[in-house]
Amino acid sequence: MSLNLKESHEYEAELKNKLKKYSGHNYELIEVLHEAQELIGYLPKEAQKIIADHLNLAPGRVNSVVSFYNHFSEYSKGEFQVSLCKGTACYVKGSQDIIKKIEDKYGIKSGQTTEDGKVSLNVVRCLGACGLSPVMTVNGKAYGLLNPEKAVKIIENYLNGKIKEEGNA
Amino acid sequence: MLKIEELEEIQKGLFDKYSGIKKDRIIIGMGTCGIAAGAEEILKTAQKEIKKLNLKDIEISITGCLGICAEEPIMEIRTNNERYIYGNLNPEKTREILKTHLGERNIINRWLIDQNSDFFSKQKRIVLKNCGNINPENIEEAIANHGYLGLAKALKSFSPNEVIEIIKNAKLRGRGGAGFSTGLKWELAANNSTQEKYLICNADEGDPGAFMDRSILEGDPHRLLEGMALAAYAVGASRGYIYCRAEYPLAIKRLKKAIKSAEGMGLLGENILDSGFDFRVNIRLGAGAFVCGEETALIASIEGKRGEPRSKPPFPSESGLFEKATVINNVETLANVPEIIRKGSEWFKKIGTEASPGTKVFALAGEIKKNGLVEVPMGTTPGEIIFDICGGLENDAEFKAAQTGGPSGGCIPIEHLNVPIDYDSLKELGTIMGSGGLIVMDTQTCMVDLAKYFIDFCKDESCGQCTSCRIGTTRMLEILEKISEGRGEKEDLDLLVEMGEVIKDSSFCGLGQSAPNPVLSTIRYFKDEYLDHIENKHCDSSVCASLFTSPCQNACPANVDVPLYIDAIRQGDYKRAYQIIQIENPLVLVCGRVCYNLCENACNRDGIDEALAIRELKRFASDYLLKNEDGFPIPEIEAEKDKKIAVIGSGPSGLTAAFYLRKKGYQVTIFEAETEVGGMLALGIPEYRLPKELLNEEIGVLTAMGVEIVVNTKIGEDILIEDLREEGFWAVYLAVGAQKDRDLNIEGSEEVEGYYSALDVLKELNQGHEFDFKDKKISVIGGGNAAIDTARNMIRLGAEEVNIIYRRTKNDMPAHKEEIREAEYERVNIYSQLNPHKIHSENNKIKKLECLEVKGGKFDQSGRRKPVEIKDSKLMIDTDIIISAVGQEVEDYFNKGKFKVELTKNNLIKSEGDFSTNVDWIFAGGDCVSGPSTVVESIQQGKKAASEIDKYLGGDGEVVKKENFERNISSPILEEQKSRVKMPTILLSERKRGFKEVEKGYSLDQAVEEASRCLRCDVKEKEEVI
Repeated sequence: MSLNLKESHEYEAELKNKLKKYSGHNYELIEVLHEAQELIGYLPKEAQKIIADHLNLAPGRVNSVVSFYNHFSEYSKGEFQVSLCKGTACYVKGSQDIIKKIEDKYGIKSGQTTEDGKVSLNVVRCLGACGLSPVMTVNGKAYGLLNPEKAVKIIENYLNGKIKEEGNA
Repeated sequence: MLKIEELEEIQKGLFDKYSGIKKDRIIIGMGTCGIAAGAEEILKTAQKEIKKLNLKDIEISITGCLGICAEEPIMEIRTNNERYIYGNLNPEKTREILKTHLGERNIINRWLIDQNSDFFSKQKRIVLKNCGNINPENIEEAIANHGYLGLAKALKSFSPNEVIEIIKNAKLRGRGGAGFSTGLKWELAANNSTQEKYLICNADEGDPGAFMDRSILEGDPHRLLEGMALAAYAVGASRGYIYCRAEYPLAIKRLKKAIKSAEGMGLLGENILDSGFDFRVNIRLGAGAFVCGEETALIASIEGKRGEPRSKPPFPSESGLFEKATVINNVETLANVPEIIRKGSEWFKKIGTEASPGTKVFALAGEIKKNGLVEVPMGTTPGEIIFDICGGLENDAEFKAAQTGGPSGGCIPIEHLNVPIDYDSLKELGTIMGSGGLIVMDTQTCMVDLAKYFIDFCKDESCGQCTSCRIGTTRMLEILEKISEGRGEKEDLDLLVEMGEVIKDSSFCGLGQSAPNPVLSTIRYFKDEYLDHIENKHCDSSVCASLFTSPCQNACPANVDVPLYIDAIRQGDYKRAYQIIQIENPLVLVCGRVCYNLCENACNRDGIDEALAIRELKRFASDYLLKNEDGFPIPEIEAEKDKKIAVIGSGPSGLTAAFYLRKKGYQVTIFEAETEVGGMLALGIPEYRLPKELLNEEIGVLTAMGVEIVVNTKIGEDILIEDLREEGFWAVYLAVGAQKDRDLNIEGSEEVEGYYSALDVLKELNQGHEFDFKDKKISVIGGGNAAIDTARNMIRLGAEEVNIIYRRTKNDMPAHKEEIREAEYERVNIYSQLNPHKIHSENNKIKKLECLEVKGGKFDQSGRRKPVEIKDSKLMIDTDIIISAVGQEVEDYFNKGKFKVELTKNNLIKSEGDFSTNVDWIFAGGDCVSGPSTVVESIQQGKKAASEIDKYLGGDGEVVKKENFERNISSPILEEQKSRVKMPTILLSERKRGFKEVEKGYSLDQAVEEASRCLRCDVKEKEEVI
């Protein structure tokens, strides 16, 4: 499964341009990573290599920083970000089964995005909607009282356009 | 280049400029919280509306967070320095306010935030002084309010060492949580002879629930910059960094702007105020790692590395950022510095406590009415903050504990509400000050679940370097998961404590060293709750979902299967509904009318709209059967047993025990002292709540089962216990209740006419006795259900005035809240915080009741303030009748024979929780053991006592057969918001005319409508319903 959804030529030039204002000191790594992620949307391996070169660091060093901080992601966020709650109430109502169904159907694990960039899956600590457990959010909108079939149906409805998001897409 | 002397002149000028603004200003609160609540739309609405109303000469500005987050979005209208602050806005209200206030010059009082309320008046705002009052993006307003004047004073008059001495003298301690002496920290760095030094501000604020620093950064960034400059001057640093978490984009934006403005005016950067002092500030972003709040991890992060803490020594003051001497201070610490320099250390020491002078900002969150930020002097108690300043708990819920210090801290239970907060006192309690987050929890919070949440957080945020923290937090989490899933073992608690101590001792940095705190603290104060999870597999707060089927059933003291019977009602099978309830609670009709409905407090539907009207539905099932079918179903009796059992007392506990024992096949006889059967159900609870006729229908179930009820037979008078033994009874269950009123012991009560005890009055009323209370003024003393029942009865007897006198606050009254509401609707006056002192009479007739006013003193063990009389605060109440309802005791006439049942020092029957007494064939349960309780709890007592008696007599003790019902969603669940169906009641005029039942009951349509709102939390696998 390919992780690099954007081809490096799409962002290489602009990234290198942005890097120019950094004096090349390796302590500026985190600032650089922030800016790169804002530009590309995430930090693919190619981008990490470019940054490593510019700051005179080993790519492994750059990757070790990217993997440490929560904020940095090596995977792009999908067009539809699906969050499943793993709090006790949802867990007991079968959120595990729902997670597994989504993982199987779309071929991704929690924290990953589908190859076509449409769906990314996230498991969160508690959404605070325990009365409706099991709960799932899609781009922030909450759906409750789910079962595996119902959950997948909702995601499909986003993918085939049956559910349209309000406001800015 | 601005010079030091010039700044003072400029300040004066700007002060006059901004305080002298004649025109109207509209100031919108635009902190992150305000924006999240919709402030941007309010701003747009205001801009549009001003144009529409054609109002000239109006300035629209923004400000940071005032601290009263519960009222966001907020808009202030300021004219000539008069401030009118409107809260809880939406676009409609905003338009209305602008039209009325600015257009017509009329204030809308009811939407104003009371600036004189306790929330504001009890605070002492030093670091938050300007937040919510000035525009944080305008440096002029900061200077007008003395911004940078402290820096100017220091540069002009103090050497760096003198600045350090002032801060040392002031005893300013690190507000990030550790409480280390700021002055000392500076001194250590200053003494370091290296040339290059750094000053870092820790603005990482990673604690969940903490947002004090964010408020300062967004609301008054110049205060922080000034503090940083002063710190840098003191230690000899010329470069500064603000390490701000990436999750605060607005704070970062405002800081950048502030730095630029300050540099522009020569207040930051090279040669500040022409003094020769250089100090350049840069911002460094965090990237979502909680551990980077730890100073060495923070330094690593600024150096572009993984945020892994380093060993100390060397401390940062010796070798820190880029191996140079570094001082790291928290935002709030630095924000305190300018005022201390301006006003002096003596001024600072006058505030707070001796060991911790100054103030602390607390972020209140959780079940609190006024959530937000408060800045109070050190030494304020948690009780004052939670109840006086922030208005107490939401929905007047019962306080359980408050969490301080976030994932590194512990909890403060009821018994410590009076402890003055400072660094050292909190450590003694097993928690820490931490950043200042204060999360308030009610009885619906499970402490095991809370501990699990925090350790899960620490495990996620652990950097992974040291085994203790990395593996230790994981293992502790696993044990807590075990416990919350019902797989806990007795050894688990000891293991958690042992592991916790080891992890604290051996972890590399503060994160690991404090990660076990929430677990250790909750075990210390809530051990019983852990044991309940481990031994009984029970979660009282209905949170640990693996331990129960549905929260309503879990909360019911009698364990009634609520969702199942609600579904039966929905399907139209009312007999089945009754039978389901009867499995665990034989008094279906009774509870449908008078139960405390603890189930409703736990109902998950409350998260969508309102809790289900569970009690009302239960009532519907019983009423339907009475009206439309042949009455109530009689349960099957097991094989007849030869043994006779005597039950003394026909109240809920006795009736229930008799029911289950008879079901087991025993020959049961109930002995009742009065003529009427039902105990308090017949002689305490008034007719308008539980009509006698209907009560007797339900008792008919028992007689149909073959229970014998003998009335007018008082044990100890008509028959002795030993006689029962002789007559062949194998066991005796004492369910005599606590029916003796505790004596008020009030001066003047001897030998006067018109002084009664509530229980006597209720009993006699229910027995048909006539009282001459018409047109009389009646005072009822007490705050429980007996007092309310008495008072409401008096209304129906035609009293001219009925007053309830209670010595604590209305919120503290133990009576059912619904009952209190109904009493007030019926025009009962409730006077709280009054202590009755003396009865004044003339010719043996009562004339007045003398009372003393009472104020709340310290918090006592019940979490309520102890009533403390105010000297010389005498109040006289005109009254003809006084009825006392201040507590109940057991009448031990049963001890008149040769067998003596032991009593406790509170005059209740002594029983160790297994319903046994000192005589092995005499059992006791219900109010006579526990003191006055609720009907449903007495029912549960009766059920469990029956089980114990059965075991004593050689049975298996299984009085309730374990059944595995099939649970299916029979019809679609109503998911859209819909409020609950209101119970129809009779009007006040009808109520006053007699004792007609107040609640009318649901119609069939209403019952089905309400039943459809049930979320069926008991069904695990929700199949798609076609």
